[in-house]
Amino acid sequence: MPNQAESLFHALSDAVVGMDEERTRQLSIQAVDQGIDALSAIEHGLVEGMNRAGKLFETEEYFIPELLLCSDAMYAGLDILRPHLKHEENQIRHKIVIGVVEGDTHDIGKNLVKIMLEASGFDIVDLGRDIPPQRFVDEAIQSQASVIALSTLMTTTMDGMAEVIQLLHKAKVRERFKVIVGGGPISQAFANRIGADGYAAGAPAAVKLVKQLIGEAA
Amino acid sequence: MKPDRLTPMERFAAYHRGKPLDRLPCVPIVGNTAARVLGVKVSDFRGNGRLIANAQIAAYRRFGYDVIRIFTDLYTQAEAMGAKVHYPEDETAYLAEPAITSTDGIASLQLADPYKDGNLPHHLEAMERTFQAVGKEVPVTGALTGPFTTASFLIGTDNLVRLTLRNPAAVHQLCDLACQGALIYAGAILDTGCAPSLTDAMCSTTVISPRQFKEFGQPYLKRLVDFIHGRGRAVTLHICGKTAPIWEAMADTGADCLSIDNAADLEAAKAKVGHRVRLMGNVPPSEIMLQGTTAQVREAVRACVRKAHNNPKGLIVASGCSLPVETPFANIDAMLDAVREIGWPVDVDELETELAA
Repeated sequence: MPNQAESLFHALSDAVVGMDEERTRQLSIQAVDQGIDALSAIEHGLVEGMNRAGKLFETEEYFIPELLLCSDAMYAGLDILRPHLKHEENQIRHKIVIGVVEGDTHDIGKNLVKIMLEASGFDIVDLGRDIPPQRFVDEAIQSQASVIALSTLMTTTMDGMAEVIQLLHKAKVRERFKVIVGGGPISQAFANRIGADGYAAGAPAAVKLVKQLIGEAA
Repeated sequence: MKPDRLTPMERFAAYHRGKPLDRLPCVPIVGNTAARVLGVKVSDFRGNGRLIANAQIAAYRRFGYDVIRIFTDLYTQAEAMGAKVHYPEDETAYLAEPAITSTDGIASLQLADPYKDGNLPHHLEAMERTFQAVGKEVPVTGALTGPFTTASFLIGTDNLVRLTLRNPAAVHQLCDLACQGALIYAGAILDTGCAPSLTDAMCSTTVISPRQFKEFGQPYLKRLVDFIHGRGRAVTLHICGKTAPIWEAMADTGADCLSIDNAADLEAAKAKVGHRVRLMGNVPPSEIMLQGTTAQVREAVRACVRKAHNNPKGLIVASGCSLPVETPFANIDAMLDAVREIGWPVDVDELETELAA
């Protein structure tokens, strides 16, 4: 029954925006029990809710704590719904390797970008923080990623971003990946200077940038 | 351009009383860049109060700015309470691991003894030596990390920000503990002759909401400001990132001066709280001071002065945050020179004319 599904999607979306992890979990189980399409429940429920949260973040009604709790709810739902995705639905997504450059352990910004990209349907390989440049290259090649996303809050680690790009050139794989950079001390001018493909000032902007770079409609 | 005629102390005294000056006060916030002035490694500062003092004094003499701030990183208090800090050989330290990983660990946390634990004794030594050497001619401050920020290093930022919504009582417990520690350390800083200089980076609205700042940041900061005032000293409060929605709440802490990051606008700050607090800021540390040309530094300084030279409680031309270690000396010189070139009184027409040209 489409109406039943519709109202469940709304409820899922509301539970995510409302930071209600337990309710999101229950509603996800309910979706599975009722045989509702898992992909639709993710897209029209969980992701829709996370996108609403992202908008509230952009308009400064939500801040990092709210966004993190929304993402906790989203992930709780994803854990339940993902195993019910059809096989091919799991294969079509672009991969993004993301991490905080070596010399820095500030990772809240990186985590927000990861959450919003994940909510937008990208497959994320999160390397974590304090990551040596070579590892970004190795992991990107190995996982056949489309995008490498580099984050830092410290000016001392900005050179590490340039090094990742140099290493990609050296390995003759630069054209295989789009490289995006972000974080407190980073600017568009810096991104241009080191030859990155793009810079985003925040998590929602990073999603738009990635979609633009890999040619999907934003 | 005229050379400086007043010492920083004389300059501030004249500025307070509305007397003539040679130029506006100017503070490129030099932390670990001081290592470059002496040609030592940043990690040499670890556990070496004498070296920190020598480097800070040398940097002050090299550039001639108006406040010395004894600072290497924000983690000293959290480290003394059990957080693990990583010290790269020649770069600024960073947090490796918080002291605890969940609220279960709160009970195990203990207040630090500033004369014994972590790097606190060495920082106090640096403050005392610097104050003894040049404290009569230039204000010497000791960096004091705000309770909310220290709490984030104790339990991890991700944990702490989630707890602000899930378990506010635990956040208060952590902030209260961090505040008690900060009060003890502030007392020790004051005993060296220095005034504490407060930084509460995580209180930024880039991270938490204004409501959360009022609940978890402001009350603890106020306790610290009240304590420092009780010892007869003025205090500057710096919060990184975006702060526009909390300027009034920051002023409500009682701080005498707000140091504003380049993510915020000095002119808007002047309109909102300029009648209550002195403003300090806000040349971009990375984009301009580290990566920019001397001409860009000069233009950024002139923009700050244009916006806030007539702030009712005064302006200190400063970098928006601590300078990156490798900031070129030429850019620090250019910052001071731009302020010297503007001189005193500020000729607004001249600033505007050049902008229009």
